[in-house]
Amino acid sequence: MRFQERWLYNMTNDSGVLSIDFLVGFTIFILAFIWVVSLIPGLLIGLQAHTIDYDAVAYRTGVILVEDPGEIVAQNITAPWESLPVGRVARFGLAISRETPNILSEEKVNRFFCTTVFNDQKYYKDKAIFGDYPYHFNISLSDGEAPPLKTGDVLPEGYGYIRRLVKIKGASNATINGTSIPPYFISTDQNVTSHTFSILINTPRLYTDVTDPSYRIDPVKDQIMINITNLTSTKSNSTANVNLTSITIKGVPYYSSIPYTSISLDGQNSTLPHNVTEEVSIRFSPRFFQGVYEGIYDPALYQPILVNLTFDLTANSTFLNNTWSSPFDYNYDPANVTQPQLRDAVMEVAVW
Amino acid sequence: MVSGERGQLYTIEGFAAALIMVITAVLVVNATSIYTAGDTHINDMQLEALGSDTLKMMDVAPNISVEKAPLQEIIENTPLNSENATFKTMFLKLSNISGTGPIHDIQFVANYSCRNNNDTVAIYPLASSDRHFTGGEHTVRATKWVIVNKQVCDSAGPQNRAVLVEVLLWRD
Repeated sequence: MRFQERWLYNMTNDSGVLSIDFLVGFTIFILAFIWVVSLIPGLLIGLQAHTIDYDAVAYRTGVILVEDPGEIVAQNITAPWESLPVGRVARFGLAISRETPNILSEEKVNRFFCTTVFNDQKYYKDKAIFGDYPYHFNISLSDGEAPPLKTGDVLPEGYGYIRRLVKIKGASNATINGTSIPPYFISTDQNVTSHTFSILINTPRLYTDVTDPSYRIDPVKDQIMINITNLTSTKSNSTANVNLTSITIKGVPYYSSIPYTSISLDGQNSTLPHNVTEEVSIRFSPRFFQGVYEGIYDPALYQPILVNLTFDLTANSTFLNNTWSSPFDYNYDPANVTQPQLRDAVMEVAVW
Repeated sequence: MVSGERGQLYTIEGFAAALIMVITAVLVVNATSIYTAGDTHINDMQLEALGSDTLKMMDVAPNISVEKAPLQEIIENTPLNSENATFKTMFLKLSNISGTGPIHDIQFVANYSCRNNNDTVAIYPLASSDRHFTGGEHTVRATKWVIVNKQVCDSAGPQNRAVLVEVLLWRD
């Protein structure tokens, strides 16, 4: 202690001594210096010219979505991406084919905007927007009728965007009206409790009759809906209750007591038997026919499909039954089937 | 106490140095955000894509039972050298469809042309918006080839001809 005091008081030269004043000044200088250095990466980003980049990325994303049918991770199959799990999708694309830009597939659209399947924005960034920069995005599709389909973040003040006009190819559907049904669809001589109604989906002929995919009825890629109405008028015994008990193809029950997501009855994936009163609607998802064709996507190998609907009644009665006549042909005859309609829509891609 | 002050920095110098650095940095950052001439083409590109899409969608029939696309029918049904109100309504409806993005207020002038036998080009008006084209507008051009069954150019009678539909469009 004594030694230290003596050393301090005896200090005659201040070389090597730091003053408080200097420390304060130096600290301020260093803080400012660090701040300026931290701006250097920002300087380079400024040179990228954000607005040009955002608009270009939005344009590119718009082209990918509107003009391309999408791509899957190649694994010896050619299934459309919308039928595959998330991991098998390489690139999104909503066009029905490469030859028909701006004509979008409703199946692809619904799948693309399904946020329960693509529950993370990284899927859209990796498979539609691309690029290393972590872009924010907002993609919307509006047909002016239903609420717009949207995915992505809320739009900020400034962003790059592109607007594309498109048409969405809707699903075809057939309405079989019990009151105006051709006589051969009702079994007037069959007063029984079990009736079978067959629907012919002749895929090879559907493919050859119409070659333009924009208007083609394509069971493997688009939904098919069959509405049967005014069923009471087909019954000779009005007290008989009706249950749809099976849906089979070539005798194979494709739909049993387990809820099957590829067929929807009256708008829901209910189980069989399904009680039928005045009308019933059956919607076949493309996955149903993809399953029937066992994952083969070569139109040259497609065979006609006969879908048999079996209705069991609680009492003897006539009913919808074409076992001994011809099946209901799901074809391009507007009297049989409401053809796929193309409706206007606008797709907007915003990137920032 | 401190007799030798050479080589020492004081608070005021620290402040001054910091201030100079910060001002320099701010100036440099601002200087790099330049609105280049290239940026102005983005608006044109967006408008051109929209115009091109509009013509493309007008040339698509809504279903298989409709034999002719609206654009084809409009040209066939419009007498030569007169304008068609359906084209105007349809073009403005499609091009002004507003989603979540900025609202477009689009004006246009449309015509179609084909080649005569003597290699000259005949141009026929098709439609225009309410705001007439004066020539001073900053326009972009969208085109579409359409096959029509009509007596145009030097055709002897109605026959399939390829005509080029050309639309000049601009924002009001």
